[in-house]
Amino acid sequence: MRALNVSIGIAVIIGSLFGHMTVTYLAAGWLENLLQEHGLKGGGFIVNILSLMLAVVMIIATLLTIAERKWSALMQDRIGPNRARLSILPVLGKMPLAGIPHILTDVFKMLTKEAFRPAGANAFLFKLAPMLAFAPVFALFAIVPAGPTLTLWGKPIIMAPANPDFGLLFMFAIASLAVYGTSLAGWSSNNKFALLGGVRASSQMISYEVALGLSLVGMMMAFSTVRLAGDTGMAALQEKLLWSTKVGGLEIGVPQWGFFLQPLGFLLFFAAAFAETKRAPFDTPEGESEIVGYFIEYSGMQFGMFMISEFVEVVVLSGVLVAIFFGGSSIPFVSTESVLALLPTGGDWPNHTTALAGGFFGMVFWVKVVLLCYLQLVIRWTFPRFRYDQIQTLGWQILLPIGLANVFVSGALILWDPSLRWLTLFGFAELAVIAFLTVTPNRQKRREAEAAEHDHGGHGHGGGHGADDHAADAHGGHNPVPALDAH
Amino acid sequence: MAQAGDDYDPTPSEDELEAHLQTRNMEINLGPSHPATHGTVRLKLELDGETIVKMDPEIGFLHRGFQKSCENVTWTQCIPYTDRLDYVASLTCNFGFITAVEKLMGVEIPERAKYIRVIGAELHRIASHLTTAGALGLELGGFAAFLYAIEGRELITDRVTELTGARLTTNYGRIGGMNRDLPPGWEENVLKSLVKIEQYAAEVDGLLTRNRIFADRVRGTGVISKDDALDFGFSGPCLRACGVKYDVRKNKPYWVYDKLDFEVPVASDGDNFARYYLRVLEIEQSIRMIRQAIDMMPGGPVMVDDWRIALPPKDQVYSTIEGVIAHFKLVMEGVPVPVGEVYHATESANGELGWYLKSDGSGRPYKVHVRAPGFQLLSALPRMCEGRMLADLIPTFDTINMIGGEVEQ
Repeated sequence: MRALNVSIGIAVIIGSLFGHMTVTYLAAGWLENLLQEHGLKGGGFIVNILSLMLAVVMIIATLLTIAERKWSALMQDRIGPNRARLSILPVLGKMPLAGIPHILTDVFKMLTKEAFRPAGANAFLFKLAPMLAFAPVFALFAIVPAGPTLTLWGKPIIMAPANPDFGLLFMFAIASLAVYGTSLAGWSSNNKFALLGGVRASSQMISYEVALGLSLVGMMMAFSTVRLAGDTGMAALQEKLLWSTKVGGLEIGVPQWGFFLQPLGFLLFFAAAFAETKRAPFDTPEGESEIVGYFIEYSGMQFGMFMISEFVEVVVLSGVLVAIFFGGSSIPFVSTESVLALLPTGGDWPNHTTALAGGFFGMVFWVKVVLLCYLQLVIRWTFPRFRYDQIQTLGWQILLPIGLANVFVSGALILWDPSLRWLTLFGFAELAVIAFLTVTPNRQKRREAEAAEHDHGGHGHGGGHGADDHAADAHGGHNPVPALDAH
Repeated sequence: MAQAGDDYDPTPSEDELEAHLQTRNMEINLGPSHPATHGTVRLKLELDGETIVKMDPEIGFLHRGFQKSCENVTWTQCIPYTDRLDYVASLTCNFGFITAVEKLMGVEIPERAKYIRVIGAELHRIASHLTTAGALGLELGGFAAFLYAIEGRELITDRVTELTGARLTTNYGRIGGMNRDLPPGWEENVLKSLVKIEQYAAEVDGLLTRNRIFADRVRGTGVISKDDALDFGFSGPCLRACGVKYDVRKNKPYWVYDKLDFEVPVASDGDNFARYYLRVLEIEQSIRMIRQAIDMMPGGPVMVDDWRIALPPKDQVYSTIEGVIAHFKLVMEGVPVPVGEVYHATESANGELGWYLKSDGSGRPYKVHVRAPGFQLLSALPRMCEGRMLADLIPTFDTINMIGGEVEQ
């Protein structure tokens, strides 16, 4: 029964993404065509802004608020929220509906609460801060393509809200604006805890800008572009297969995904962008058990803006990651061109067939986005929080040097072999090394296991802590487990 | 000042470099109502940026007049007050108090009662340690570890409820033994729960101990040296984390701890990690002890057979004059504790829980003083945190595990 419910849920989500993207392609094509008849351009982009940013991003972000609670409940052996009911509906009103009615209750709660402003707070900046926190995050999605560029009614339709030449540079510029919202919120609240949070946020976000930019340089060099959308954008270029074979009309092989070309770049970008989203383990500006957060004085929907901007950030970051590192809207290991070539040409409704294909690829894109959102939530719910100075150390002393090294090595490999094959092989080697380091137990764990074998063969759990030779490691610094003598 | 038309010289002049910015340290109140100060304590902090310059812990928000209350009731009626001392591990407080009174009276309790006390105290030690380890995870942002730990504590709370009838305010044990024997089948339930608790503890251990972020947060923070710890009067896991092997259960065995086979883990770093990890190891030792105790526990009575101390059986009360008199005297006058004074200590979850009792023979305590382990630990908090970052205070405050109820009494 539960498996059935879950399958139905997944089918509904995927189906609605498919339908929505198909309709978006059709509407974009229709409006582009209509406006071009009157000498205007960019009709498709208007539809994309409404459909991708206002509809899909916002709806996924809203659903993430409940998904975060449900998924964290799954990880923590709980049930999660399931009390709210839509009692005005006839049959569904009696069902918990996976907790989705909680979204409504949350929204109503936030909208109806008093927007309190503490005495002594700067009224203008206090009201400006939530907007400044939300707007740049939302605007980031503008350059992310959510589907392939297809020709409808003779016009190429780029499935992104905008396609400027300066693509990624726009992203860096807008991302760096987000710091104003948080630091202003902390500063204008006239609260010492909030001030600490604001200072933490601004220093953290500014120092991670550098690593963020540097981590993408490898990708920019590999594809010689900073553009994301369009036929010459990064998302489309990643669909090309480096090694391929034909299987019944489909071309299957290894694509030049950013994840394969630049695994290190991906990890760096992911870490730096995660730090920019200010979510655990990088949530020192919030640090609810330490300083309660830069938004401590906010209530009602002003607080809601900070909260929803975090969730929007999760979706947007996933979208950017998919577009830069995970092949955009392409099906993994399958050439998009070969899929499109399978489509029946001609027929009575050629544009509608193309739009259906676009809807399918758009669906693939959004499914990848949702999977990456899940990954981000898993990380958020498993790791403890860094300390404020440790975040700086990570950013400046670890991410930055690795990023620089990555740029030089990737640059050399790209110069040597412009077909990117060697870069990909090198990427695979990096992935193998990372996987090896992840699965092998660390030094301390190995030593503990050895000690357990020859010291206390029989006693399972207590084993390993009794070994006297551990005492030497007690001040060793980096071994995560100290030496303990159990006499 | 540069005049218009002068050549601009970007190098700052000598006195410009010398001039210091006027700065003032920020004073901040952490608590009494703050997510990290569980137990309602106020920490007045003076911050230079994020560094703690000065710190002043202020207690008293949970003061209930414990000592004065005890002076106005009989010795037996003090037991419910002791529940409220260390409310995370109330059985250790119950048993500690009645053991001290028994020492003052010179009463030897039946063997079975001693085993029951060991099992109860160790169960609550596990509960307290799980709470500390889990809350440490929670305060460092790892919520999952906290919930697994609390899941384990919930099992213990269930067993304690079966045993005492209450989740928190146990009020179990009487002077001279136990007021009730174990409920039928309780031992099996405990053994079953222990298996699960081991799993939950392993889960907490797995989520936290080897996590690099967690290790960075707790290793080398909140350090206190061995000498300082002894000077401040540390005891329990916090003292053993500094390398002093002192455990009342081993050094001055009471009840049946001398018959049980267990180890006292000791670390040498004196930092938050050592305090956290010792608790994880002590959970394992406590589980060992409970299994042994259940194995070795003899049958027989759980209360001394002396109607001046123990309530007579109800049928005797209703049918014999001796029973009525004994019942009346015990309820109205209380247990006859002779004139004298005593200090007795037991090992509670957080350290040496000492009782200094003075009796004037009136049936009510003349003086009840508790040496709560948390008080000494809290008084050393400024020493451990001053000069460190604000973020280090949070795990340090957690691993000393100050319990407001016993510190403020």
